Amino acid sequence: MIVIDGTLKQRLAGWLLAAVGLLGTFLLIEAYTSAQRAAGRAYDSQLQAASLTIAEAVQWQDGEPIVEIPAAALQILATDHQERVFYTLLNAAGQQITGNLNRAMAKSLGDAFSTNPMWKFAQNRGVRIRLYGRELRSAGWESSEPVQIWVGHTMSGREALAKELFLGTLTRFLAMVALTALLSILAIRMALQPVRRLRRTLLQRKANDVSPVGAQVPGELYELVETLNVLFERQRQGRNTLLRFTADASHQLKTPLAGLQSVSELALLSNKPEDWRQALQTVHDSSERTSRLAGQLLSLARLRHGTGEIHARLNLTDLLRETVMEWAERDTAQNHDLGLAVMPDSPLVISGEPWSLREMIGNLIDNALLYTPAGSEITLGLKQSAGLITLSIQDSGSGVSNALLERLHQPFERGGRQDTAGSGLGLAIVDSIAQAHNATLQMRSEPSQGLWIGVQFPVLSSTQQHSQSEQT
Amino acid sequence: MTPYLRAGIILLCLLPIVATAQNPTPLIIEAALDLKIFTPLLEAFEQAHPDIALTYYDRSTLEVNQRAQNADPAPDVVISSAMPWQMALVNQGLAQPLDSDAARNWPAWAKWRNEVFGFTFEPIVTVYRLELARHMMPPTTHADVHKLLSTHQDLLRGRVTTYSPTGSGIGLMLFQQDARYSPRFWDLVAAMGAADMSLENNTQAMLDGLTDGPYWLGYNLLGSYALQWARSHPELIVQIPQDYALVMMRMAFVHRNAPHAEAAKTFMNFLLGAEGQRVLAGDTPLFSVLPEVTGPYTAQRLRDQIGERLYPIPINASLLAFDDPLRRRLFMQRWAREIEILKP
Amino acid sequence: MRLLIVEDDPLIAVSLTQSLAPLGNTVEVFHRLSEARTALAHSQFDLVVLDLGLPDGSGLALLTEIRNRGNATPVLILTARDGVAERVQGLDAGADDYLTKPFSLPELQARVRALMRRSQQRTDNRLRFGPLCFDQKSGDVTLHGERLDLPRRELGLMEGLLLHAERIAPREQLIDRLFGFGEVGPNALEVYISRLRKRLSGSGVRIRTLRGLGYRLEDDPE
Repeated sequence: MIVIDGTLKQRLAGWLLAAVGLLGTFLLIEAYTSAQRAAGRAYDSQLQAASLTIAEAVQWQDGEPIVEIPAAALQILATDHQERVFYTLLNAAGQQITGNLNRAMAKSLGDAFSTNPMWKFAQNRGVRIRLYGRELRSAGWESSEPVQIWVGHTMSGREALAKELFLGTLTRFLAMVALTALLSILAIRMALQPVRRLRRTLLQRKANDVSPVGAQVPGELYELVETLNVLFERQRQGRNTLLRFTADASHQLKTPLAGLQSVSELALLSNKPEDWRQALQTVHDSSERTSRLAGQLLSLARLRHGTGEIHARLNLTDLLRETVMEWAERDTAQNHDLGLAVMPDSPLVISGEPWSLREMIGNLIDNALLYTPAGSEITLGLKQSAGLITLSIQDSGSGVSNALLERLHQPFERGGRQDTAGSGLGLAIVDSIAQAHNATLQMRSEPSQGLWIGVQFPVLSSTQQHSQSEQT
Repeated sequence: MTPYLRAGIILLCLLPIVATAQNPTPLIIEAALDLKIFTPLLEAFEQAHPDIALTYYDRSTLEVNQRAQNADPAPDVVISSAMPWQMALVNQGLAQPLDSDAARNWPAWAKWRNEVFGFTFEPIVTVYRLELARHMMPPTTHADVHKLLSTHQDLLRGRVTTYSPTGSGIGLMLFQQDARYSPRFWDLVAAMGAADMSLENNTQAMLDGLTDGPYWLGYNLLGSYALQWARSHPELIVQIPQDYALVMMRMAFVHRNAPHAEAAKTFMNFLLGAEGQRVLAGDTPLFSVLPEVTGPYTAQRLRDQIGERLYPIPINASLLAFDDPLRRRLFMQRWAREIEILKP
Repeated sequence: MRLLIVEDDPLIAVSLTQSLAPLGNTVEVFHRLSEARTALAHSQFDLVVLDLGLPDGSGLALLTEIRNRGNATPVLILTARDGVAERVQGLDAGADDYLTKPFSLPELQARVRALMRRSQQRTDNRLRFGPLCFDQKSGDVTLHGERLDLPRRELGLMEGLLLHAERIAPREQLIDRLFGFGEVGPNALEVYISRLRKRLSGSGVRIRTLRGLGYRLEDDPE
């Protein structure tokens, strides 16, 4: 039965969500850090510009640095975002030349200094500030002391910028996701169009149309359509086989029935009781034969074209004994020595369908009864060896040549034994049932040593044994 | 700068106390802004907010600056004309942000960080006695002042006054601005030095001297006070310099540690709002800033009259440069040098 | 003996009637279930031959009805070729034996005889087969009227064979009957069978061996 297992849309949505979620997380983390960096760089460059402006205003007087702080420098430091600004200039001894930082902070900056430009974060009255420091050496006639220039500002501007950048990325990202989702839904709808077309094509086929499907499909559906065609091909073949079989069978039925008709007509023309007796005997035998044939045809048809039967665990030992017992009671078996070989003590369990196995054994016995002379021994047996259970029937008749052994499997092949009352379907039925049980059919015959037929069943594996129910 | 503490305590005497059994919230304002001049706004505020008990301290810029840093409890609102010092206080984080419609509505060039607001637009003027005009051409520009000092040095000796760069919070700032705009500034300083100019700490002292003597000429006075004074003292002429005119904006902020922050914010919103600005424009010479407000004393009117020559001192980080100690030291060194140069 | 045949196919019905009548029986034939039902309600029969596939209902329903009434008349059901389920159902519903169509008439006769013997046995506690007679009460066995003196095991074996007369008596059942649950050698049963055979030789009754299956008391054609 068909079970609906989610929808393609859901699957795609699920995968998309997972992918977007995963990639998106990484992307957004990256975007965040990159926004932070970009904002940081932008504002840091202001710090650098401000320090440069201050540096340019530094002059040396008698080896001492003096500077008239340019107002512009402070405005650069403040940036558009109106940060709080901080600056200090320290001489070589670490003393503050000028600035608006408190002494303690100025001192700590001086201690931390190196000749290369430095970036620092610091706390000022509970607020985080970003500081930039560089060393300024002058060129001139006299050697002069280096000056440390530190500039800094609060960080609300860069944080706001980072946030803005990140939110921009986030918005764009979300918009893109939404758009992608929308497009995906549309894409699915469009992609499923060929499936809908295919469905319509299939719906339009007639009920018993088994011709190959012709359709224009995208590559992914090719396999599906091809499989459908294989399926149809199999059905076609099955139907052809059935038709052939039916034709054969009807031919086979017509022959004895025609015979019946002519025999009866002849007998009616005569008025001698001996003629009648003979005719009746013929009619009786022929009816028997036709009856058997009809029954076997039904069996065979049912086996070859029926629905799958349920296999269950069963004890082959018991089943064989019962079936042979039943046949031994029959009238037809009274003139033969039908018997059972010594059975193994332990039950031999296989997975099978009881009715068809009884049919199979019955057909083997029936064949043996028909094709061997009265008084012959027919012995059935059961043996287990190396993962196989062999059910066998051995008769003490005249045997069959090797060439004919090959053809015996085919329906209506009677191994050159046309004189007997059988129909030739027996072995075909046995073969069908064996196949349905994953068993193999083997036949051996030596002239004047009779015919041996064996059906080899695979042993039920222990897991199978535990999972299936018992059937007797 | 007036040396005395002018403690003006205004209680709710103009209106009967609303007997609604509510305890009025106190509000402490430390201001370097003449009480006489500011009274109309304070009264208007009290009318609008009878539940707030206003206490207004009118002090010098130096005192205000110190109190803002050291007073405990801190004042609620700090108002001063010393723009660099206000900016320094804000830069140190002593102001708290004002998040209101009035603050948002305030012009961007007149505020910093939404923490401090310049709410007046006062031109820096030259004031002279009518007598001076009898002896010489009255000065209309900075160049004129220089010319007068140079040519009439003897007549003007001892009769010139200006802000002390060390004794007042705005004096140094105004001189530094002057120095920025004209390289001839130091010539003017030398000329003033040669004329033995007197240095005062506030505009009122200069006005008193011009009225009662001995001053004939005052340089870099606050136009707001001068205009108000001149109305009742017609012998004084207030001249907004025609070559360029500095504009000083008084700045106010709510202290970060204000004990009555809500009342302080209410006051600020009133000050910055249409109502307060209308009072400023109509009843004070302080020149309101808000563009929508009309009246005799608005920044827009001043702009219309003076045009491009107005140079407001910008409210931004560059103010801090005026507070730089080294810069100040260097300036004072030069000042000291220059005033001596031309002395005979 | 009165026989009731319920069969709708006229040809089969005729052949049933003609083959069973010689057994000294009165045979009544009905083609419809409703008629059979009426007949069973009004009269007693010694045996019923019941075809399961009748036009106006399933023979099984009738069988169930009469069994529920407590009617223990032996019933032989006729089943279709591949009607295993039917057969099982029929036997479960209380049929005593079955025959698959198409059947041979001798087979039918044998089955009917066996059924009648069984029902007769219930009435007089004697097992008979041809010249043999076994009185279950006294334990006496007579052959052609003469008493056979059988030792205990042979007696048991004879009883077992007679119970299954004309049918195969399965080996396992005979072994159980003779030896209980004790261990026996593979040929133990054969020994006793051969002893019995000696006694029966020339009596017109023989014991036929069905290899691997069991033994059967049969008429000896000699």
